Amino acid sequence: MRISDKMNQNQFLSNVQKNRTELSSLQNQAATMKRINKPSDDPIGAAKALENRTENKNLEQFDRNILFAKSFLENSEATLSQLTEAVVRAKELAMQGASDTNGGIPRQMISEEISQIYNSVVEMSNRRFGERYIFGGYQTTAPPFTKAGEYRGDNGQIQIQNHKGQFLPMNLNGSQIFLGENLGYEGSVKRQWDVPKTIEELRDYKITEVQKVIDEDVTREDLLELRGPASVGRVQRLTETDPVNGKAGANIFSLMTTLEAALRTNDKISIQNVLEPLDQALNQINLARAEVGGRLNQMNATSDGIQKTIVDNKSQNSLIEDADLFKVMTDLNRSDTALKATLETSNKIMNQSLLDFLR
Amino acid sequence: MAVSQAALQTASHNITNKSTEGYTRQRVETAATQPMDEGRYRLGTGVEISGITRVNNPWLERQLQREGGQLAFLEGQTQALGRLENALNEQSVKGLNASISEFFGAFRELANNPESALPRTLVREAATTLIQNFKDAKRQFMDVSTDINKSIQSAVGDSTEMAREIADLNSRIHDVEIAEHGPANDERDRRDLLIKKLAEKMDISFAEDPKSGMVNITAGNTAILVAGTSYNKINTYSDEQGNTVIYNELSKGGSAINITDQFRKGSVGGSIAMREGQLGKIIGELDDLAYNIAANVNQVHAEGYDRYNQTGIKFFDLPQDGSFGIEGFKLNSAIQEDVGKIAAASRPGAPGDNTVANVIQELQFRPLMEGGKYSFDDFYNSKVGEIGILSQRATGALESQQNTFDQLKNVRESVSGVSLDEEAAKMIEYQKSYEASARMIKIADEMFDTILNLKR
Repeated sequence: MRISDKMNQNQFLSNVQKNRTELSSLQNQAATMKRINKPSDDPIGAAKALENRTENKNLEQFDRNILFAKSFLENSEATLSQLTEAVVRAKELAMQGASDTNGGIPRQMISEEISQIYNSVVEMSNRRFGERYIFGGYQTTAPPFTKAGEYRGDNGQIQIQNHKGQFLPMNLNGSQIFLGENLGYEGSVKRQWDVPKTIEELRDYKITEVQKVIDEDVTREDLLELRGPASVGRVQRLTETDPVNGKAGANIFSLMTTLEAALRTNDKISIQNVLEPLDQALNQINLARAEVGGRLNQMNATSDGIQKTIVDNKSQNSLIEDADLFKVMTDLNRSDTALKATLETSNKIMNQSLLDFLR
Repeated sequence: MAVSQAALQTASHNITNKSTEGYTRQRVETAATQPMDEGRYRLGTGVEISGITRVNNPWLERQLQREGGQLAFLEGQTQALGRLENALNEQSVKGLNASISEFFGAFRELANNPESALPRTLVREAATTLIQNFKDAKRQFMDVSTDINKSIQSAVGDSTEMAREIADLNSRIHDVEIAEHGPANDERDRRDLLIKKLAEKMDISFAEDPKSGMVNITAGNTAILVAGTSYNKINTYSDEQGNTVIYNELSKGGSAINITDQFRKGSVGGSIAMREGQLGKIIGELDDLAYNIAANVNQVHAEGYDRYNQTGIKFFDLPQDGSFGIEGFKLNSAIQEDVGKIAAASRPGAPGDNTVANVIQELQFRPLMEGGKYSFDDFYNSKVGEIGILSQRATGALESQQNTFDQLKNVRESVSGVSLDEEAAKMIEYQKSYEASARMIKIADEMFDTILNLKR
């Protein structure tokens, strides 16, 4: 084959160019410590890495959600535990009051303490977490209970997303815990499961929610009609299942006021009548605490799962994206040697000419 | 001696043009002159130059033209794809993918704390960043588009310039060759080079008229660029979308027809294919993505109630007539001014209700793109992957084309290139024969002297 000077030159240039391209790519990998620096380096890997990164970002957010909901629930739990103590104390006092040896003036003193307990229960019912009232349903900006124990909140369930498409209710409604309304089977706290996830579900949800509020108002009105003029009647009704909604529940506020009134008026029968509903109230609070505990457990389990997935994703991304340093360095050395060889040989060849020998 | 001189002249011409682009080495063809009849013998009378010819392989040249066109096509495509890829590259910096996640993440934060103003501000900022990122990506795509249009314009402009020079060379070659001064080597070299360059720019077909030695060139299918000694100009205009289109005038001042679609090769063909193909597609898809996010968020948001118990508020400002473009993508100005107008609740008067915020953030996982096939993330990620694959493939194709082209160039250089060693050897050869011829004259002179001295 005839070799012309330009051929040599072209060959040399294209070889050096090739070596330099490879070196620069390897150098880039070594500097960034990443195998994939642009999508075309590994399109499928790059897309997968992006996907993992999005997932991790979301998971981290879910974990933050869980942390937030957990502290909210722990706060609720602390309040509920105080409430238990208060009701237990009230029961002790009621038992003292029910016995005849404590008749006369001591009952008056007991009623004073009951009055104190009532006040602290009102304070508990209006507890806040940060700026929000925890027992008011969606009504988180105003105190949910009045001094008279009337509920101003609603039955809203604040749903917190703890995983993709998965929600957990975060709050307990004051009407359930303090008033014993709307409770589930045997006084347990109902949990709302249906969370709208699409626009259609949202529209349906809005309609059913409006209907629910109307239903509740009707129920309340029925309840009001059923209430007799005497406080005794109210207490008695609480020992049985509710004739309207068929559910059992104790109104802690009215229990306290009834007890206080009974103590003040030395009404032993009434005091005795309060004892059983107080047990029921304790049961009601304990069930609510069990619910809180259950939610906390669930959150912890989900959080553990999330942490694990985050680590898994990260290590997978590292496998996809990160450069194998050992390999990069070896390749770098090899390319460097190749470039040097190209330069050296071309130095030899290109300097050769017949003209050098014609002297 | 004159022959040796001419040969030396040619060798020096070859050596000095060693690095001239498109130069073909020339060779002096010699032939013995007509012999003299001398009685019983025919006596040789010496040598004459029968011609100075180019050493080239026309078939090789034609192949180089074709492969060069293909190379330029791939080069244009690879470059444009590389830039698209850069615009979408999120390996090391935050981009659209991250800001989509952050946007929906902000709604999650809002769901945690719907009463507070802080997460609301967060939602607004995330939305602003999202819009900004969409605009940045679109702007980068549009920049690529503008560059493509500019490169079409300049390539077509250059082609006119080349057509003029080729027409000029046509007439010179014709003049030289008709006067029987032998082939117009240097002019032909230059013309071959120009045709090669022209083929790199666009689709051309050409043919040499064997009688006149002139080349006629047609661009695309119909536009005549060079006809003998005259040349035509093809023009570029911008259409309504700002895309450059190519028009050809059938006759001076006559009606012009759009011949843009006729270009499928060369850098112009590559640019047009890119513009009509991937680039147009990805710009449309980006618009789609932005529109679908905005429309879906709006739909849910309008169902919700804000802090003032108002409902039916749109989150993004979308044109009613469906003429959506990312350029006009913006936040509802009411929300821009007051984050309290962001709706999180599903019922009025419920500050702690986060149902709507939950539904909005859930949109991220719902298959809402392309008729319910992909989620926003999936859609975007698959587009990044797609551009990556295309870019990878184009780079590979370019590399192999470059190899083919280099190989061909090597073959051409092997045939037509100048070798200094060869020229040096020839120089010595001709120098020696010049010296020998001179010695002949000297001997003839001495012989003459001998005759003159006979009488003495």
